[in-house]
Amino acid sequence: MPVTKVLMAGIGEANLRDIAVYRDRGGYKQLERAFKTMKPADVLDLCEKSGLRGRGGAGFPTGRKWSFLPSNDKPRYLVCNSDEAEPGTFKDHMLLEETPHLVLEGMLLGAYGIGSHHAYIYIRGEFKRGAEIFNETIEQARKAGFVGKNLFGTGYDLEVTVHRGAGAYICGEETALLNSLEGKRGEPRLKPPFPAVAGLYGMPTVVNNVETLAYLVPILEKGAQWFAAAGTERSKGYKVISICGHVRKAGNYEVPLGTPVRELIEIAGGLRQGRKVMAIQPGGGSSACIFEEHLDLPYDYESLAKAGTMVGSGAMVVMDDTTDIVKAAFNLTRFFAHESCGQCTPCREGGDWLETVLHRFVEGRALRSDIDMLMRVGHQITGINLCPLGDSIEPFLLSVLTRFPEKFEARIIKEAALPA
Amino acid sequence: MSRVQEFPALRERLKPQCEEIIAQYEVSRSALLPLIHLFQQHEGYASPEAMRAVSEMLNLSLAVVESTVSFYTLFFRKPVGKYVLQVCRGLACAIDGADDIMAYFREKLGIGHLQTTDDGVFSYEEVECLAACDRATCMQVNLEFVYDLTPQMIDEMIAAMRAGTYPVAAMAQTEKPPKTWTLRQDMEVSQGAKSAGALDQPAPNNAGGLDKDGIIMLDRILAEEWRFKGRTKERLATEEPAIADIFENGATH
Repeated sequence: MPVTKVLMAGIGEANLRDIAVYRDRGGYKQLERAFKTMKPADVLDLCEKSGLRGRGGAGFPTGRKWSFLPSNDKPRYLVCNSDEAEPGTFKDHMLLEETPHLVLEGMLLGAYGIGSHHAYIYIRGEFKRGAEIFNETIEQARKAGFVGKNLFGTGYDLEVTVHRGAGAYICGEETALLNSLEGKRGEPRLKPPFPAVAGLYGMPTVVNNVETLAYLVPILEKGAQWFAAAGTERSKGYKVISICGHVRKAGNYEVPLGTPVRELIEIAGGLRQGRKVMAIQPGGGSSACIFEEHLDLPYDYESLAKAGTMVGSGAMVVMDDTTDIVKAAFNLTRFFAHESCGQCTPCREGGDWLETVLHRFVEGRALRSDIDMLMRVGHQITGINLCPLGDSIEPFLLSVLTRFPEKFEARIIKEAALPA
Repeated sequence: MSRVQEFPALRERLKPQCEEIIAQYEVSRSALLPLIHLFQQHEGYASPEAMRAVSEMLNLSLAVVESTVSFYTLFFRKPVGKYVLQVCRGLACAIDGADDIMAYFREKLGIGHLQTTDDGVFSYEEVECLAACDRATCMQVNLEFVYDLTPQMIDEMIAAMRAGTYPVAAMAQTEKPPKTWTLRQDMEVSQGAKSAGALDQPAPNNAGGLDKDGIIMLDRILAEEWRFKGRTKERLATEEPAIADIFENGATH
């Protein structure tokens, strides 16, 4: 079994919220080493060589994201994205609450790497406990001299601020997150300019996921080669995968990228007795489904993209043959309709429209023409919005609609039920 | 003393804390969300007075503050119950039986989605994914997680909350809460029509589409086209005789 413990080392065994325990296990050593012996450019170099890609959803190479920062002397910001709300994802929730010092150390390394003197962490409003824990973490680190002024006597100042959201999935999108952090409605911005050029307060900004930043610590400790040696040629390293749904032991599992989907299901305890896989959503609510024939697919960015879906945030929702797939489609569509910020008409109206039509299917009173309508409306929403939320509505719906048309047809209103 | 009369004192009391929050940011407007969180913690909801106070502190117009606050679902625009029960209806919970859990809550509390009980103890909401899918079905009580829900747990929870012995602190309550705390859905809730929650509940949001009667109407129109066409023609004859004439006899007549 390829289960590894890199980020998840010590979780469930030791109280990693305590800075003393974390330091006993080698915590903050890499931070000290970086500040004392490395230049920021060295951290960036390591990050690029390791092949680390964004773990929040888009999978963009982290080193390259950093390298987009212009070389001017404007203040720059590092923002850690902990607005985890993708249906099926619960890895950042765990990292934030169970190993907060690792997340903080990663943030500090990231901030040093890009030359930022103020880092923010945006925590979703529902993680009230998580935000309290992280504030406590920062205080502990401040006392130990890892946050604040003149770190390690190098004259480098670095402040960290926790910013709590207030219930909006869309704030996981980086420009919406920046707006929310600026005290505005969480509506995505037009890109370009990208945050690297004009982000928080119009200054160069890097927004990275919790897991991405946390991986900086082991990469510094064990080297870029070590990280790059795991995984596949283009999907390097490890990933925490949240596996839930119809498996026996739902949970977070850290594996090298490229582990076959079948093996992942086995790691999570397998399916219940006598059940078969109906559909698997491999990368959170925004991804298209894969099916039985895809079980041997390696779980990495390229293989999943080839199968028409994506790694996304690494949330695998397994649905067995007892699932009402029509209800599942309604559920996810309702989610996106509810979370649409309302800026772009296709997403705002289209999402609501699909929800309404799908509800007719759930209630078994859809018209024959509604199947066509789902296809048409879903297709028309995609690709013409400011942010990827609108584009996230179609994939799941389309994949199950083409795979299980009979399940949808069974919900069409019977001729007899129509008034004479 | 009423909440409104007490507000100036509260504002004065929270002033140092507010200043500390504002000082954390390079640009003061960033403090908007944390400040509203702070006032909500003390008043139980984002009151009009709190929004005005925040607008003054940050030198913004009240409209800007209100528009921002209205964007976020965790800011309550009206008073809520002492325990805000937010049950997850996300996909992972839904395929693990969230429908039954939600139906049980509705039955036990006697209220629906986005509603508050008459005694002001419970507010109930069905929310999107809470990021605890490994322990479905889950919920939050005043933003504290409760995992692996069962009907028995729900019974015990509700009883403990009624008795005031539940371990999670109650929300501040400075006013008697109305039936719902959202402004947008006031009308729908009072008519009992809105049911964005459990999948089997009838009458969902039907914006932009046809409800049950709408479908039947559409089918009737298709089946008895002549009757509806006829009616249109009759109305045209009485309301717009000139146009009706053109339709009847052509434009050259």
